[in-house]
Amino acid sequence: MPSSERLVALTLAWAVAGAALAQETPPARAPVHKTSLDQAPAQKTSPESAPAHWLERMNQALTTRNYDGTFSHWHGGRVEMLRIIHRVQDGTVSERLASLDGSGREFIRAGASLTCYLPDKRTVLVEQRPPEESLVGFPAVNDQSVSFYDIREVTRTRLNRRDTHVITVSPKDEYRYGYRLWIDDSTAMPLKTQLCDRRGHVIEQIVFASLTLPAHIPDSAFKPEVSTAGFRWLRNESAPPAPTAATLAWNAMRLPPGFRMTARSAQTLPGSADPVDHLVFTDGLASVSVFVEPQRREHADQPAVPESAAVGSSSAFSTVIDGHKITAVGEVPPDTVRFIASQLKAEELPAVSSRRH
Amino acid sequence: MSADASDLSLVRRVQRGDKGAFDALVLKYQHKLVKLVMRYVRNPAEAEDIAQEAFIKAYRALPQFRGDSAFYTWLYRIAINTAKNAVVSRDRSPIEYDLDRSNEESYDMQGRMKDSETPEGLVLTEEIRSTVNAAIDALPEDLRTAIVLRELEGLSYEEIAAAMACPVGTVRSRIFRAREAIDRRLREVFEGGLGRAEELG
Amino acid sequence: MNEELDSQLSAMFDDELAPEQCELLARRLSRDEQLKARWGRYAVIGAAIRSERGVRLNAPLAGRVSAVLLAEPALVTTPGARPTAVRWWQPLAGAAVAAGVAVGCVLWLRAQNPLAGAPLSAHLTAATVSVPSAPVVPAAAESYVVPRTPAVRAMVPSTELANYVVAHSVYSSPVARRNLLSAFMTSESGTAAEEPPDEPAVHAQ
Repeated sequence: MPSSERLVALTLAWAVAGAALAQETPPARAPVHKTSLDQAPAQKTSPESAPAHWLERMNQALTTRNYDGTFSHWHGGRVEMLRIIHRVQDGTVSERLASLDGSGREFIRAGASLTCYLPDKRTVLVEQRPPEESLVGFPAVNDQSVSFYDIREVTRTRLNRRDTHVITVSPKDEYRYGYRLWIDDSTAMPLKTQLCDRRGHVIEQIVFASLTLPAHIPDSAFKPEVSTAGFRWLRNESAPPAPTAATLAWNAMRLPPGFRMTARSAQTLPGSADPVDHLVFTDGLASVSVFVEPQRREHADQPAVPESAAVGSSSAFSTVIDGHKITAVGEVPPDTVRFIASQLKAEELPAVSSRRH
Repeated sequence: MSADASDLSLVRRVQRGDKGAFDALVLKYQHKLVKLVMRYVRNPAEAEDIAQEAFIKAYRALPQFRGDSAFYTWLYRIAINTAKNAVVSRDRSPIEYDLDRSNEESYDMQGRMKDSETPEGLVLTEEIRSTVNAAIDALPEDLRTAIVLRELEGLSYEEIAAAMACPVGTVRSRIFRAREAIDRRLREVFEGGLGRAEELG
Repeated sequence: MNEELDSQLSAMFDDELAPEQCELLARRLSRDEQLKARWGRYAVIGAAIRSERGVRLNAPLAGRVSAVLLAEPALVTTPGARPTAVRWWQPLAGAAVAAGVAVGCVLWLRAQNPLAGAPLSAHLTAATVSVPSAPVVPAAAESYVVPRTPAVRAMVPSTELANYVVAHSVYSSPVARRNLLSAFMTSESGTAAEEPPDEPAVHAQ
């Protein structure tokens, strides 16, 4: 579609979506008070309107509702459009996220498998998650989070003719990012999201250009559009690796304030035969995964050069400790992943029972 | 007309302590300044930040402005310096804001920005622009000609009077009525939000 | 309705108004929010007609400048005069000036601390959590201290990075996950880390 038509389509789609959204829920004409200077910071007393509650409702909406939308993703001076389709049916989550311009990449989740189509690399990654692992409900925003973030409802405002609550989540230190969220009053969907650094500069922004919440989404909506002829397929083993008699457990010696380990598992990643330890640290809002794997033999004699990478605003960092490659990834500033990764250390476990007989 | 009387009257008020008068100067020149800064930084958000900084520097330096040059000329120089400094300090740390765009020509046929380069804010900008253009199309020809000659060609009232073979007073009236008609349309479409320059996006 | 008077604003905007009338109108303009808003819309109309690429027509720029100026001392040009007493922090509730000029600026600024000129400064409460100094990277034999400022150009192979990103995404919060995956869907994976600038683009001295 030529770009000018697409622009018109986008703005029309918004108008249509606005109508669709309005049909989904009864039109609640709550009084929209335009931002006025006499507003005090909104510290409403009723729990339903507490800012943290809005975050909860938003997380609920994102994880449990059906939606289909297009949004712009802005980062580092570049903008691209993506489409997202999300469905929860009979307890199973299906999701498709596709780049509408540029890379043509797609990410599809269907039940227990996560598939990443990378046409620019002519590769498909398929990762099977163990079926019994319920797709992790993210920890609720809790009292702990509040100590490291300042969560407030700043105002209510209209965004593209929708009534939204503007919630800010300001980090109290340099180890994490902040958010500004424009949460739709009717559906609790985040219509606009800004990821900010500690000074409030916007690093990344996602804004829906069109959004509908249909009652039904057909399976065909989750098929990739990219043709995979000639692509290399990388899968992981569907069964988790057999637990070995581990003598070492990895942990972080120190963590940034507020972070604690919430998950630890062993898994194999697509294309790799060796199991990887996967540790997860979170402060209640941001999370960091640390992957630990034996350093590949062919790299053993090379000096370890710590490497950084960025995926949008998220950060990755890898280094080598005690002959193991440590990689940390998370939606936190680069220093945080660097710090956590470099704090990893293997601890000897107490003598295991298999030695006794 | 004495050149620059408009800006000078506002500047003098600011110099005597009236900050509200400075708002009027910002409102008038913000788009021009952002456009200017974008010669140095391509990122619109960064350009806005720099333009903002330039305005604030101008405010602080205003006691030293004596009217030797036009206010905008003076402001323009401050903006260029601010932009250059921002680029220099940015380039010290290798942050890539502007990734290579092989195609510089990113306007579509009607001269609007292609949506693939349209951050969310510019979708609304596009709506504003199309509202204005539609309102102009709907104007009677004499009003349309007057406003276009003024805003697009930058002609003075006298030059427009010559071009349209009418008195200067008529030019002034036509431009005023054109603006009012367009403004009415803008206010209708944007529910009064734009009137208070409220950010909708 | 007297068009002669009403059209003064339009004429002044075009710098086509007699100086003495400018003086009077400037005074009104500075105090009358409606008039100021109309003036602002005239500017938007002009910019819309000129269709300038990249320039936002709804930018809250004016409001931000106005809000920053709240904390600035009022200018005094009489030589030798001492500046009026400076109130470094004015509760927004008391400030009439910024009303009507991009009221949206209130979205960004809740309270100003004297050093924060940055337009989007999030409201920072007094730090009760002590912020550690730069994280200590143990100078073990296998690694070296990575300099704080950017960034080694990544050499993480992109497929590998994809694996980590996807595996991690399961554990992200819903909103963060969306950012992460969207970025991955669009980004050139393996680009140099982008850090926020060391100095804010706008800062009050």
